[in-house]
Amino acid sequence: MAASVELRKIVKSYGDLEVVHGVDLTIEPGEFVVFVGPSGCGKSTLLRMIAGLEPITGGELLIEGERINEVPAAKRGIAMVFQSYALYPHMSVYQNLAFGLETAKMPKPEIRAKVQKAAQILRIEPLLDRKPKQLSGGQRQRVAIGRAITREPRIFLFDEPLSNLDAELRVQMRVEIAKLHNDLGNTMIYVTHDQVEAMTMADKIVVLSAGNIEQAGAPLDLYNKPANLFVAGFIGSPKMNFFDASVDAVDPAGAKLGIAGGTLAFNRSVSAGKGDKLTFGVRPEHIGITEGSGVPMANVKVDLVENLGGQTLLYTTAPDGSGLTIVLEGQRDIALGSTVTAHIDPAKCHVFGADGNVA
Amino acid sequence: MTTDVQTLTVVGTETSRTRRHIISVVSHVLLVGASILMLYPLLWMLASTFRPENEIFSSSSLWPSSFSIDSYIRGWNGLRVSFGTFFLNSFVIAILCVAGNVLACSMTAFAFARLKFRGRNFWFALMLMTLMLPYHVTLIPQYVLFLNLGWVNTFLPLIVPKFLASDAFFIFLMVQFFRGIPRELDEAAMMDGCSAWRIYWKVMMPLSLPVLATAAIFTFIWTWDDFLGPLIYLNEMRQYTVQLGLRTFVDSTGESDFGGMLAMSVLTIVPVFLFFLFFQRLLIEGIATTGMKR
Repeated sequence: MAASVELRKIVKSYGDLEVVHGVDLTIEPGEFVVFVGPSGCGKSTLLRMIAGLEPITGGELLIEGERINEVPAAKRGIAMVFQSYALYPHMSVYQNLAFGLETAKMPKPEIRAKVQKAAQILRIEPLLDRKPKQLSGGQRQRVAIGRAITREPRIFLFDEPLSNLDAELRVQMRVEIAKLHNDLGNTMIYVTHDQVEAMTMADKIVVLSAGNIEQAGAPLDLYNKPANLFVAGFIGSPKMNFFDASVDAVDPAGAKLGIAGGTLAFNRSVSAGKGDKLTFGVRPEHIGITEGSGVPMANVKVDLVENLGGQTLLYTTAPDGSGLTIVLEGQRDIALGSTVTAHIDPAKCHVFGADGNVA
Repeated sequence: MTTDVQTLTVVGTETSRTRRHIISVVSHVLLVGASILMLYPLLWMLASTFRPENEIFSSSSLWPSSFSIDSYIRGWNGLRVSFGTFFLNSFVIAILCVAGNVLACSMTAFAFARLKFRGRNFWFALMLMTLMLPYHVTLIPQYVLFLNLGWVNTFLPLIVPKFLASDAFFIFLMVQFFRGIPRELDEAAMMDGCSAWRIYWKVMMPLSLPVLATAAIFTFIWTWDDFLGPLIYLNEMRQYTVQLGLRTFVDSTGESDFGGMLAMSVLTIVPVFLFFLFFQRLLIEGIATTGMKR
């Protein structure tokens, strides 16, 4: 049942305003792809164009190699779960699940069997006679997913389906959707602005910004090798620390960078000349405060300590005034106002050129 | 010291309670008085239907000196045509007008609220402008039109326009209501394979019961109470509606039967009252967003 999806130079304009600028993307059959990005980046618009709810201004959308730009939403073999659930309030759960099949004029016994199967998968059998107003948020979300399942689509679309749930339920539903994907094996496209959801669920993450794809790839590839400043800053929590840096010396074995009032011997070359301005990035979890944790970068003053139990977060200030967030494993007893030496592993650091791309 | 403060607090509480009590009594007396003032004409009419004819205008009491249902019997059968015929005519016209208005206005409103078509805003503005036109301005052109169609002296001029979404007020009311129904429901229905017609019929209509009930109630009341329309288009007594029938009791050249007229007036109110009673519960049933998370 899984299908491939291909976007070729997809453009979306509202009048003169272009909001999606020629997006190219290939989604393999059975892949779980997450569109992630800040509000207004075009991720929901892209999803709605795939669903057939928004006309495509330019480019081609192909499902299983077949151009479907003009094919109506219902005939694309796609089911969608909406952010607001969009359950029909006047129908029972059973009727909500059966509605699409009734519209397709499927025989009643077949409808009953499909609804029962979906209800069984989502464990909502006892709720079939209830109206949506009699359900909790999590139950409504299950029904919304059930409505998608009954149609046995080639592709599932999820438009921020968990954003209305509380934190605990969100984690629970996240796991259930991931399990559902494993069980059904369908192609799933999931939109979220929550990068934790993206990292935990996706086979492939597509990071969008201002109507463009910034980077697409496996979650850990994006984490380990962000293509540009935007992706580096967006993926990872707490977000990556950035510093203005300058190239002090260029050597075939590596480069010397002036960072945060100190000098760092970088163990790889950078595509920049002496004196060039760069942006240096290091993730909070890749900074240590003991000698064995890397090379010293700067002495920093501790402004705030957050003990999370399993981790300790330090918010510090470098000698040049720039902020540095450090994540340490375990529980630490560090006094406010004290000075610690931030050590970093140059192999886990990132350098970006003036254009924002990896240098 | 503490005891003094407690005593003061208790006295203060009692004073304010007495004051609230007095205000409540006065306001209730005023409200009851206003209600009696409003209801008096209706109660007087009801009382007059049980009075002998000669007592009707000579007494303002709400209690008849003697009870008789003669006015009802006389009123029902006193005219050349039974009053039951007028009731039937009024029912046929009112029910068809309700069906026409609810269906045609909701379809038009759905188109304005949800469908995209060329000149939608222009047509909507034009439709709204017809609200400003007094009924009497279009009366003569309409009469000429229906005369040419050969519809005068039939129910058609009173009913057919209602099936052509001629009531801009209800269209406007429904457009506003439909706009309040989340668009995701339409989109979910589109994903479920619904055509525009099925979205209208299966999703929008069931969710719009309050506004449909409002349109139904007002259409029924306005049609039932309409005097001018039937007066212009209906000439034969057998086609009269109740309002024209009531007018027939008052004869400027001969003797008027006010007892019969008042008795039939009381009966005329009953269907409107029952219709309102039946549909008003739908007015308060707001279910449009209970499947959504906002």
